[in-house]
Amino acid sequence: METQVHELVGAVHDAAWQPWAVQYFFLIAISVTALLMALPAFVFGKSTDLRTARLALMVAVTTGITAPIALLADLHQPFRFWEFFVYTHKSSWMAWGAWIVPSYVALMLLFAWAIHRPEFHRMGQDDWRFAWLFRLFSLGGASNGFARPLGMLAGLAALGILVYTGSEVMVVRARPLWNTPFLPLQFAATGGVGALGVMLILERMLCRESALEATLNRRLALALALVAALGMGWFAVAISGVSPVHSEALASVAGFPVWQQIALWGAASVAIPFVLALVLPRNTGLITGLIAIHAAWMFRWTVFMGGQAVPKVGSGLYDALMPTGVAGLMGVLGTFGLWVFLMIVYTTFLPWADASPPARTSDQAPRKSASPQEI
Amino acid sequence: MDTTRRGFLGAIGQVTIGAAASVAGAGQSASAEGNDVPHWGMVVDLRKCIGCQACTVACIMENAVPEDAFRTHVSVYELVKDGQDPAMVMLPRLCNHCDDPPCLPVCPVEATFKAENGEVLVDASKCVGCAYCVQACPYDARFINHETQVADKCTFCFHRTQAGLLPACVETCVGGARNFGDLNDPNSEVSKMLRDNEVSVLRPEMHTNPNVYYIGLDDVLDGRVAGEAAYHPEMADTVSHTEGL
Repeated sequence: METQVHELVGAVHDAAWQPWAVQYFFLIAISVTALLMALPAFVFGKSTDLRTARLALMVAVTTGITAPIALLADLHQPFRFWEFFVYTHKSSWMAWGAWIVPSYVALMLLFAWAIHRPEFHRMGQDDWRFAWLFRLFSLGGASNGFARPLGMLAGLAALGILVYTGSEVMVVRARPLWNTPFLPLQFAATGGVGALGVMLILERMLCRESALEATLNRRLALALALVAALGMGWFAVAISGVSPVHSEALASVAGFPVWQQIALWGAASVAIPFVLALVLPRNTGLITGLIAIHAAWMFRWTVFMGGQAVPKVGSGLYDALMPTGVAGLMGVLGTFGLWVFLMIVYTTFLPWADASPPARTSDQAPRKSASPQEI
Repeated sequence: MDTTRRGFLGAIGQVTIGAAASVAGAGQSASAEGNDVPHWGMVVDLRKCIGCQACTVACIMENAVPEDAFRTHVSVYELVKDGQDPAMVMLPRLCNHCDDPPCLPVCPVEATFKAENGEVLVDASKCVGCAYCVQACPYDARFINHETQVADKCTFCFHRTQAGLLPACVETCVGGARNFGDLNDPNSEVSKMLRDNEVSVLRPEMHTNPNVYYIGLDDVLDGRVAGEAAYHPEMADTVSHTEGL
């Protein structure tokens, strides 16, 4: 029996997770995947990766500081954040996240500090205006053998972030678009795409080394291939009916032209930088990087804001583009503004270009290297 | 044991206002049967709902619900079956006070809890406003109150039932569609209605064990309603939604 339904009176529900949440998930995924890219050189001594690792560490630190601030902004009662640590509810992934996020940020910052400590010490010995500050930063020593265990712990915390952020969203059965086992993997893979995108932009602005650009572009192509494979896998299991939750996710949005346009846009955002990075790995870093950042951000925007635009019981769609209006836009821009500020501070004051793997022996003699002004 | 406003008014000549407690079944019914404490539930008889939204307004007035939100409202649909004449169908919506509420385990600070009488409540002094519960609720029954900045929802008018009164929406229901009472008491009106009628719940596939039941609920309305929406945002105003691929 065919039934036509016209909704005459219904309620529209605002998006409860606002653009700040998108920013958090975007930035934290970039931070943890960037940190994992920094570990081969700084922890495991793979010297060929050192230049990549320096950029990766810079990205991990700056986005890793910005992300929790965006998360706090998304709380409607931000000054009650301490309750997360007093009333931990073990069945909630968010409660676990409340412990994992500060652990990750603290370990990641300690690791970055340990990597830079010899340079801090050296800059504290030089005769210049801020020497006293760097003597403070170095805590009076140059040894950093402990950077390796710190890096490993930070890496574990980064994996914890990937697990908790993915699971936190995946367990929400009420939102079919979120309730798919592919989602945590997609978050991780698109996080890697975003991190490589930011690293490519920074490489073009700070280094301009053709070989490094090509290396990053090749890795970006690999990450994009992974994202595409996951996307096709998602679609295949959804359309074949092998996985009912994926089929339900697809069915919840498939009838809407706006979602078909989003899908095409997303596919283009993956395909275009993939082809460019593969065919022209040199001199395309700016464009592939920007599109990669866009792809990673758009994926989260689509999942979070688009997902909340799908009514759970009503008909049609709620506002899908910018549900929180100018305030939401300002939230997005403000978060990026904070990240840009941190980038300026990082590249101006920290000897990032001299960051090296820790020496095997403690308290080694400080090395001669460039000051930040010379970078 | 009448649990509707009409029944209440019929009994008003025989009992005092104070006896409204027995009308609601509060405090007496369960103990009279030797059962545990009352377990509140609602049976909505859709054959009697006229879509007047008196319940919506009563709830807003009783609970100071802000302008941009609802703890309960009545969705109104036009159904056309096999080209027959269209039928107007009303569907009052509210928190289902599930026995297995998905909003509860996700709350990171245990602000959401299940009260002794089965109500799902939010401790507003504890809620951090993370809105995880809003996402987890399969009925779109929760929202962030923009005046208090915490999660908000129907409480089955906890403050009223504690005082032996009916929830405001039940009290004000013109057609007697909303019925409220103790599901543990086999003699309560709601228990009898559940025994005597074929009832449905919303979104049975979610296995939440809701405590809001419907008499006369059309299958096409028990989940996400696939059809022409009343609201047309700019980005999605082109077609009606047909569920499926």
